[in-house]
Amino acid sequence: MEQAAKLARWERSERFGRWLDRRIPKSSRITLSQDSIFIFPTATGFVFGGLVVLLIIGAINYQNSLVYGVAFLLGSLFLVAILYTFRNLSGITLEYVASGSGFVGEPIEFEVRVARPSGAGREGVQLGWPDSIPQWAEIFDHEAAPVHLYVTSSARGWLRPGRLLVETYYPLGLLRAWTWVDLDAKAIVYPQPIFGAAPDASARQRDEGVLVDPKGSDDFNDMRGYRPGDSVRRILWRTYARTEELIVKEYASYVDPRFILDFDAVPGDTEERLSRLTGMALTATNLQREFAVALPGTFIESGLGSAHLERVLRTLALYGIDDGD
Amino acid sequence: MMAIDSHTGVGSQIPRLSLALLMLTQAVVVVPHGAHLSWWVIVVGLACAAWRWMVFQGRWGFPSRWIKVLLVTMAAIGVGLDVRLRALSAFSLETATALLIVAFALKLVETRSRRDAYVVIFLSYFVIATEFLFEQTMAIAAYELLAVVLVTAAMVGLNQMHTRIRPLVSLRIAATLVLQAAPLMLVLFLFFPRMAPLWSVPLPGGAQTGITDRVTPGDIAVLTQSDEIAFRVVFDGPIPHPRALYWRGIVYSRYDRGTWSVGPQHTAAHEPPLQLDIGTSTPRRYEVLLEPTQGVWLFALETPVPVSPGVELTRDYRLVADEPVRSLFRYRVDSFADYVADRSLPDWLERRETQIARGVNPRAVRFAAELAARYPNKRDYLDALLERIRVEPYRYTLNPPRLSSDDDIDEFWFDTRAGFCSHYAAAFVYLARLAGIPARMVGGYQGGEINPLTGHIVVRQYDAHAWAEVWLEDAGWVRMDPTAAVAPQRIEQGLDAALSEPDRATLSALTALRFGGSKIADLMYWFESLEHRWNVWVVGYDSDRQYHYLRQLLGGVSPVKIGLVMLAGGAVSLALVALSLFWRRRTQSGHPLERTFRHFGKALGRHGMPRAPEESPRAFLARVAQWLDKPASDLMPLVESLEALLYNPMPDQSRHQRRFVERGLRRLRLEAALRNRN
Repeated sequence: MEQAAKLARWERSERFGRWLDRRIPKSSRITLSQDSIFIFPTATGFVFGGLVVLLIIGAINYQNSLVYGVAFLLGSLFLVAILYTFRNLSGITLEYVASGSGFVGEPIEFEVRVARPSGAGREGVQLGWPDSIPQWAEIFDHEAAPVHLYVTSSARGWLRPGRLLVETYYPLGLLRAWTWVDLDAKAIVYPQPIFGAAPDASARQRDEGVLVDPKGSDDFNDMRGYRPGDSVRRILWRTYARTEELIVKEYASYVDPRFILDFDAVPGDTEERLSRLTGMALTATNLQREFAVALPGTFIESGLGSAHLERVLRTLALYGIDDGD
Repeated sequence: MMAIDSHTGVGSQIPRLSLALLMLTQAVVVVPHGAHLSWWVIVVGLACAAWRWMVFQGRWGFPSRWIKVLLVTMAAIGVGLDVRLRALSAFSLETATALLIVAFALKLVETRSRRDAYVVIFLSYFVIATEFLFEQTMAIAAYELLAVVLVTAAMVGLNQMHTRIRPLVSLRIAATLVLQAAPLMLVLFLFFPRMAPLWSVPLPGGAQTGITDRVTPGDIAVLTQSDEIAFRVVFDGPIPHPRALYWRGIVYSRYDRGTWSVGPQHTAAHEPPLQLDIGTSTPRRYEVLLEPTQGVWLFALETPVPVSPGVELTRDYRLVADEPVRSLFRYRVDSFADYVADRSLPDWLERRETQIARGVNPRAVRFAAELAARYPNKRDYLDALLERIRVEPYRYTLNPPRLSSDDDIDEFWFDTRAGFCSHYAAAFVYLARLAGIPARMVGGYQGGEINPLTGHIVVRQYDAHAWAEVWLEDAGWVRMDPTAAVAPQRIEQGLDAALSEPDRATLSALTALRFGGSKIADLMYWFESLEHRWNVWVVGYDSDRQYHYLRQLLGGVSPVKIGLVMLAGGAVSLALVALSLFWRRRTQSGHPLERTFRHFGKALGRHGMPRAPEESPRAFLARVAQWLDKPASDLMPLVESLEALLYNPMPDQSRHQRRFVERGLRRLRLEAALRNRN
């Protein structure tokens, strides 16, 4: 169950957000204190309160001291539980450690370290962003524990999951102590790749003259089965005619210093183009083929390897987005 | 109830151990109710528990909707039948409780979500409180306190992380919570203003106990002697000798075919309200804590004046309560021993107190006429009756022969000559009336036992007694006890002294022990005094007592004062809890082995091999190995075990390994010490 569903409207409102920003300022490391912890009875807690009132009325009507006793004991239990529930969050330090990266539609990992003050263990503390599945922090036996949260983004660029909900119902479930902390966590989300059209479809226009005839190339290295995205030109048609098997030639280094993934050469709107370029970049990397990327206003020199790929993906992800921080 | 189960984000399933605890809890809270429930409610409860157990074991499924409908219907019919059979009112407390328990049992069968679990938990608390409407003894209270801890533990179990739910851990947490809630509860108990009932409610019924408002001495073949407590008395001044304590309860004025009953009560229409002309005599002042009798009559020494509200004086100088006594009832009385009751007797009263059935007991009629001729003076006549009992072979026994209903007085007085107090009192009153002397039988208790620890008097059911009152010119009503003539020990030393061997056989084991006069008797005194204090301070703590106590404590009672005291008391008790929660004990921090290792580091530091701040155990032990000229591989098993323990999420599952590490570290310390020696 996602937490977003059960938040009250006021908790999602902008005014509440601004008020929270003043009260619990953004920071990658926050220790919870009484300034930042909210506490309120749960629905169960209200029912429990009703039970206590009912018992007191019973005690009055029956003039029964021991029923008074039960009512007062339960009432006191509730008050003591306030302290326990509050204590369960108080003093806990939350620290944003790292985040992974991924494509649109993929769950992206964030790591948050939860530490408690030395002394008594804390139980039943859970954290989660409104869009993530909440996770328990196992900080009873250990003073600190990492918590991995996963958020799925629907747009490329920076993913800022926003305020993290930290809450607990321990020990009786009658009260909920919670807080919203902004750990300033962010992760980069790459455009959702679209595979399909061959990467050289776009490259051909500029590089026709330089293209090496595959048949005459010395670098011809190997043959392998066709994979979607392979160039049609590299298929061994003669083999196909004989065996009806699609075999492509592979080259140790496809000598094409000017293989460029060009924004202007792919169809679709901006987002679709970025998605196609992402797909191409992935395929090219997969094929061990050097490539450059041309975006309006940006040009990434030809290269190969994961660092290059990451740089390209990052550029694609942030295209047109103000990289504020 | 709202969506209670939505709050964990780990689904709405009940952890298994928590469920087991819940089932145990239910059994525990229902058990004390067994005393006033019909057997079939118990059967339904057991069946439901068994079913739930099978579900728990995974052998059976949850009941289908039809079975549930069937169960509910059967339960409703069952409660209905129960009401008919036991002749209860449909709105009686017993009916309501039976319904509650049945619903509670049925709820358990279908419990599967957290929300269901909370319903069961809250019902459990309610069932616990309900039990106190039936019984308020210290033992029950102690039992129910444990039950509260158990229920709370089930609630804690619902909110613990699944990896940590262990019944004992939940129980420990729950016990701590209850313990920490206790001071605040005490503050509320003492200071929360006690109010008058908001509306009237059905109180527990049940059989009448103790003496009753009609007596048929001839019907009783064996008088069973119960050692149940009838009431306790606390005297303000010195405690009188038990011999002088005649606790009047009921006045039997009407005689009909062997049965004595309370006469027609005449109220203000006939007679102005009874006004005691007390004069200047000083009363004997005391407080009575009466156990429930289901009757309105109260017990008091002669010529009482009620002090407490809700208690009234009747025309025959008895005290009655406004409502039947259904739970412990506390009242204060002033008794004027010297007061002359009814200096003159109105006609209607004289008629009532001399009323006699004609045509029965012919021998007694003849006997009375002859005796009255011999002793024209009324006093002499009565003395002659007592003298006859003393001299002739009359016998005091708890196992009297039965008497016929018509001529019972004749049979007793001339033939059997064996009986207990009511036989003697009845015959005495009858014979007095035959001589035209206004007389009546009085039922109540005589004597009592002084608890040496608290100085209060305990009156038990076996102290029940019947005696006579006769009206004499100038003296008013005079008490005469014919039993004292046949068995003076009964009056002087209590029932025990008057008993014969066959009589003793009718005593319960506990009563016999009480009369044994052993160490056990001392222990019983101690329990008795505890129970008494419990009754005075806890069960009997009502608005009246609260007012007196608060006035004593605060020197005056005002809402502001009470509010302030409650606030202060509450704040202090919560502050204590907060202090225990937030006080950080630095030395006790961290993993237990971390502490052990810190000590180890310090110890080696004393031997000249200090551990660097934040140095990892592995690095430090490597240095230690070098320092001791050992190959590092020697210490590898130790290092590995240590690390496994320090970073293992389940630390207490590897006690074995822990002992190994502790032994290893001890050996190293020893070696370090030896190295320095050399």
